[in-house]
This record gives sequence, C-alpha cells and structure tokens, in this order.
Amino acid sequence: MSEGFLGTAAPLAADVVLLLETGMGVTLLAGAWLARTKRFRLHAWCQSAIVFVNLVVIALEMLPSFRVQVLPRIPLKLGKNYVALAAAHATLGGVAEILAVYILLAAGTRLLPEKMRIARYKAWMQCVLALWWLALLLGLATYIRWYVLHSFR
Amino acid sequence: MRRSVSLAVFIAVAILGIGALGAGARNSSVAAQQKAETTEVKIDNFSFGPATLTVSVGTTVTWTNRDDIPHTVVSADDPKIFKSKVLDTDEKFSFTFTRAGTYPYFCSIHPKMTGKVIVQ
Repeated sequence: MSEGFLGTAAPLAADVVLLLETGMGVTLLAGAWLARTKRFRLHAWCQSAIVFVNLVVIALEMLPSFRVQVLPRIPLKLGKNYVALAAAHATLGGVAEILAVYILLAAGTRLLPEKMRIARYKAWMQCVLALWWLALLLGLATYIRWYVLHSFR
Repeated sequence: MRRSVSLAVFIAVAILGIGALGAGARNSSVAAQQKAETTEVKIDNFSFGPATLTVSVGTTVTWTNRDDIPHTVVSADDPKIFKSKVLDTDEKFSFTFTRAGTYPYFCSIHPKMTGKVIVQ
C-alpha cells in the first residue's frame, strides 16, 4: 500500500480522493454559476460529469473502505467520534449522490415516468448542492480525524 | 537419645528447606522462560513501539492498540505471513514466529506506520 503525499498518515488513495472531492465541490459551485449566467447547456454537462465521476469514486474507493473500516463498528461504536463522523459523512454523501442522480434523470432525460419528474428544478438543485457541500465538509473532518495526529482528541 | 532426635529433625528441616529453595528457583526460571516467549508491541500515536523487535524462534508477539483510532498489523511480505483485522482501542492481535528471518509489517490504514520483527 502506497503512502500519501499530503504529509499526513493517510494512504495515497485517501489523499487522491480528498483532492478529487474538493475539486468536484468547487467545480459544482462553478457549474451553479454557469446556470446563473444562463449557460444552461454547459451547466448541465458540468454537473452531470461531476455526479458521474463521484459515483465512480464512491464505488471504487469510498464504499470498499467504509465496508471494512467503519461498517463493522455500527451501531456498537457509534459513540466514538471517528465512527460517527465517517457514518454521518457516508449517509449525507450517499443521500446527496442519490438525489443528484435523480435530478439528472428527471431534468436531463425522459427515463422517469411523468409523475416522478420535478417542476422546481432550481430549489432542488440548490438543496442538493448545499447537502453535497455539507457531506464534503464532513468528509474533510473524517479525513482529519482518521489521518492527522492528535486531531479532535 | 534426645540430642540425636533433635539433630535428625534439624537435618530433615534443612533438607526440606534446600529442596523448597531449589524448586522455587526452578519455578522462577521456568516463569522467566515463559515470559521471554511472549512479547508485546504497543500501537500508539500512529506508531509501533518498539518499531524493531528482536525475538527468538517460537516467540508469540502481541500487538495492542493503545491509540484512539483503529489500526491494523499487516505483513509486508508477499504472500502476507500475518494480517490482523481492524483493531479498535485496546484490541489485540497475536502471531507466533516459528521461523528465523526478518518480518517487516505496516498498518494498512496508515501506511507510514511501519515496524519490523527480527526472529533469530
């Protein structure tokens, strides 16, 4: 297993995921700005790409490490802050990703039946963006707790 | 007559006393040998302590996680000679080294944490 490059105790994969997720969070904000400036097509491409890349990162990296390192400690060790942080991050992040995929399907395709489509896109998208950033900040806190010496102790 | 009985009693007590001392010494020697066969490595502050441990063949090394974050103990050899589950605070993992050699290991959650067991 390779060592990370951010100077913490984290493995390479965790450092890469941290940078990727931060980059994706910033890109989503840029995508939201594109919508404000009425460049909707570019906005749609930008947000769709991020949601897809995040899905791949979750499937390949975050889910497997969560399954091995955190899931066996739930619910018995939820009182430990390193378990609680990781569980909160996973829950919020999972909900944000599912909602983001739902918005993509509802707004960008005709795959969903009429009654499952949404009318108030803007409110939904703003909510999901806020949720996404909350999950991102929880992810940052989780990283610090797991890999930075003497954090939150 | 009384004098010879007293002498016999004294000799018997002396023999028993020396025997008891000998048995005590043997027991403490056995205890010392048993103690030498189990060695502990403490995991704390994102490090293994001692980082390098020298033991004799047949020794069981026990790693104890004293840190407040999970850690693992994984052999760096390929194929892996030993691999612990994820250890929470105060959980232990033991492995008995039956062959001489150098066994490097690391924590798979924090790969910068490394250690080595030298078996002679």
